[in-house]
Amino acid sequence: MLRYIGWRIAQIFVTFFLFLTMVFLIFQAMPGDYTKQFIMNPKIPPEARQALAERLGLTGSVWDQYLHYVRNVFTGNLGISFQHYPREVWDVIKERLPRTAVLFLVADLLAFALGYPLGKYIAWRRGRISDYVVTVTGVLFYTIFTPLLAIILLFVFSNVLGWFRSGGFLTPSLWLRPPVSPQTVFLLLTATICGLLGLWAGSYFLTRRIGHPRPRAWARRGLVALGLGLAGIAWGYSGIGSYAWDIVWHMFLPVLAVTLISFGGTMLLMRDSMLEVIREDYITTAKAKGLPEKVIRDKHAARTALLPTITNFTIGLGFIVSGGIVTETMFSWKGMGLTYLEAVLQQDFPLAMGCLTFTGILVLLLHLVVDVLYAFLDPRISY
Amino acid sequence: MLISEKVKIEPLWKIRLRLAIRSLRRNWALFWESRIGPLGLGIILFFVLLMIAHPILMATVWDPRVYDPIVGFDRALVGRHPAPPSWAHPLGTDPIGRDVLSQLMWSTRSEFALGVTSALITVVIGTLIGAICAYFGGVIDTIFMRLADLVMLFPFIALLMVLRSVIHLDLWRLALVMGILSGFGGITITLKAQALTVKVKPYIEAAKVAGGSAFHIIRHHIIPNIMPLSFLYMMFNVTGAVFTEAVLSYFGLLDIRMSWGIMIHTAESAGYLGAFGQYWWLWAPPGAAITLLCFAFYLVGRGLDTVVNPRLRKR
Amino acid sequence: MPLLDVKNLTMHYTTKMGDVHAVDDVSFAIEPGEAIGLVGESGCGKTSIALTLLRLLPDNAKFLGGSVLFEGVDIVRIPEEEMRKIRWRGISMIFQAAMNSLNPVYRVGDQIIEAIQTHFPIDYQAARRRVAELFDLVGLAPELMDRYPHEYSGGMKQRAVIAMALACAPKLVIADEPTTALDVIVQDRILRRIDEVRKELNMAMLYISHDIAVIAEVSQRIGVMYAGNLVEFADTVTIFKNPAHPYTIALMSAFPSIKGEKRKLQGLPGEPPDLLRPPSGCRFHPRCPYATAVCTESPPEYREIQPQHYVACWHPHLGRS
Repeated sequence: MLRYIGWRIAQIFVTFFLFLTMVFLIFQAMPGDYTKQFIMNPKIPPEARQALAERLGLTGSVWDQYLHYVRNVFTGNLGISFQHYPREVWDVIKERLPRTAVLFLVADLLAFALGYPLGKYIAWRRGRISDYVVTVTGVLFYTIFTPLLAIILLFVFSNVLGWFRSGGFLTPSLWLRPPVSPQTVFLLLTATICGLLGLWAGSYFLTRRIGHPRPRAWARRGLVALGLGLAGIAWGYSGIGSYAWDIVWHMFLPVLAVTLISFGGTMLLMRDSMLEVIREDYITTAKAKGLPEKVIRDKHAARTALLPTITNFTIGLGFIVSGGIVTETMFSWKGMGLTYLEAVLQQDFPLAMGCLTFTGILVLLLHLVVDVLYAFLDPRISY
Repeated sequence: MLISEKVKIEPLWKIRLRLAIRSLRRNWALFWESRIGPLGLGIILFFVLLMIAHPILMATVWDPRVYDPIVGFDRALVGRHPAPPSWAHPLGTDPIGRDVLSQLMWSTRSEFALGVTSALITVVIGTLIGAICAYFGGVIDTIFMRLADLVMLFPFIALLMVLRSVIHLDLWRLALVMGILSGFGGITITLKAQALTVKVKPYIEAAKVAGGSAFHIIRHHIIPNIMPLSFLYMMFNVTGAVFTEAVLSYFGLLDIRMSWGIMIHTAESAGYLGAFGQYWWLWAPPGAAITLLCFAFYLVGRGLDTVVNPRLRKR
Repeated sequence: MPLLDVKNLTMHYTTKMGDVHAVDDVSFAIEPGEAIGLVGESGCGKTSIALTLLRLLPDNAKFLGGSVLFEGVDIVRIPEEEMRKIRWRGISMIFQAAMNSLNPVYRVGDQIIEAIQTHFPIDYQAARRRVAELFDLVGLAPELMDRYPHEYSGGMKQRAVIAMALACAPKLVIADEPTTALDVIVQDRILRRIDEVRKELNMAMLYISHDIAVIAEVSQRIGVMYAGNLVEFADTVTIFKNPAHPYTIALMSAFPSIKGEKRKLQGLPGEPPDLLRPPSGCRFHPRCPYATAVCTESPPEYREIQPQHYVACWHPHLGRS
């Protein structure tokens, strides 16, 4: 197994390297010479221009710039943003990333929590009316035009119902003199979610002593509920709870949009997966053993059908980093997606390239995580 | 009596035709049984009707000066554009005086063209590469799989901007770009997996022993056996292509003159999307059209899935 | 009272192309501790009978008549909840192709424990001990309990499936071609083991196979099936020495004998009928060398021609008993 991981990491290096080169070449090919553009930026005093140009590696031939760029990336220096001068690209990314992470993490988890049981349940009822209705609805949500969904949601919730009036991720009037920055709140929220996730995963391990499946499941749920309760109390007493709530309030609509679309996909995938598994002989054996329907469906069929769904979920996690550009734009949610789009449109190449680089390495690593996770879940696979 | 005396000798093409018709009929019956497949097909048919109806309307009832989707203008309502739906304009007019229904119907043609072309290119490339990777394995396989990884990470928007500065990014060129890019991406992985299940079948071994070259085996054995799956994925690719074009047009990143995405983009850049309820005819019809066409092709894809994959059938 | 009493069982499958007459008017009985064999070609309805007994039939199966009395209770008509209790505890099954009978993501031992815990209120450790006993009984090392199915060989998987079938000490075990997928040596070993275990635990067994040699080894009485009908039922010796139904006779003629005189093997011309449109009258008449007019018109009655020897034929061959 370790050897496999090592081999994959080596492959990731090569792929990442090629990716960097590709990104660099594309941005070199962009209209306009970005070296001159930066230099012409009026914010920079003329004396400093030449020195700055050299520091940023904008002088010299294309080959020199390339080497400079690659070296920088591998030392963690992603350059300085044009739009947000003099902030560094990495600084901007650090600020925007948690916003995207929180949004898509919550939405993906919700979509999975809804799609998995529904898909499992509806596959068991193959051929009935409910099956068709749910399937068609799932496809509809999966293929709906995202801006249309956003507009409809905004229309219904903002205009008609009057909730969620403002876009963006916070209400400026509430944040006039906050004790903490929005950045900190986002980071803490991300930490909370990750912590709860870890608790849920760990609860499988912690409750393994309990023999019977039914009490064990309740023990797990109890642990997670306990975690949620503690988190809630901690936030409430921390003094910054109201700020966190403001952000969560603004998160409602974008999360709803992403969840609806994502849930359709997860549900369909789970259903298809289950239908494949149901035909297997070991399901007939389970029935012959006299097991109750629910146990056959949940313990035997769903467990095996889960595998492709997990893969799908983990690949969807890639969006957590790159952000749904469309969603973030529609809801004015200043996350990675929106940042990237603006950077490309405004020709802020360091920022755009930085976003791509960051996303690239994370997606490649995530794919590796998927493969390793799959090996853990399916005992037939070993590396 | 010898067996050969009992059998009628027919030309090969006739036999092939008969078998093809029989399997077509059987597959159609299965497709029909899936229920959702025909639903999708029905919706597609509806759009085809829209597509056909437009030139007829333009030639007969509609005055081209007013109803042309791109350069039409209704003088009668000047100053009140975008006008709400009326008898003259069933879906109203857009901010620069053009009839919305006419735009909707006219764009259907380009959406179909874009979707089908792009999907076709993707699937052809994907099938070829999948078959080749499965058959040869080794270095060739690794190269294409890593290429697929890169393609999936590809900064599509950045590429479009580069291309746009160099060439006029119209519908056909966009279809080509999208088709080629997707063709090397995720679809190769899926089709390669399918081709691998074909490769290990005994008849491939038999063909090799009989002296079949790699080209022959790939062309006559592997590809025909993965074509049903390719055809299936083509449907999903049409959905993806139409969706992508709509999103890109909505963000104003393309040079197409008129499409459903452009319609919403026009409305937004003219500032009419702020008050959703008031100018609903500017965003609801094109948005619904995009959704419905993607929805329809996806349903057809799922319907075909029950034909191709026996396990998903009812019985 | 017989342990299992099947009377006039009729079951069809509904398909797009019509009704498949899978099981028609089948009757037989199994006494406690008895070993019965059911033999016939592929598609003759043997497996369908097995599935009917456990009510594991797919959705398109239509039950059309007859009764199945298990310890006096008609298990075809009781509600699903009741049937669930009888499954595995009263009647269990060793499936064909054991490779696929075990769920690949769970340990083998856990899958057997699951069956035990469903029917008995014992704790995990006690269940583990029982599994160890069972493994010992079938000839598997107890450590294998904690391995996954893909780590077993074909013969080992078959033994595990047998152990699983015996887990709840059922009164009747249905074995559906349990050794078809194995090589001859392993097949022999497993057959012997099954027979020993059966005698030890005094279980009744319904052994299903298309291989008459295998059936003869383990059964006290044999039922011969053809095209959904039970055409002959008698003890093993009678079937071999004194077959009455032409189909059984043909089966015996096609079977080489080590001890008997050297003779030419006779095959049976023709093919089993399409069960969508079974032949009129006796279903065997198209291939029967002794068929007459009455055979094409009405199906023969299933009756006892000699003590404990049942045949469904208009012209049964009556030899010495």
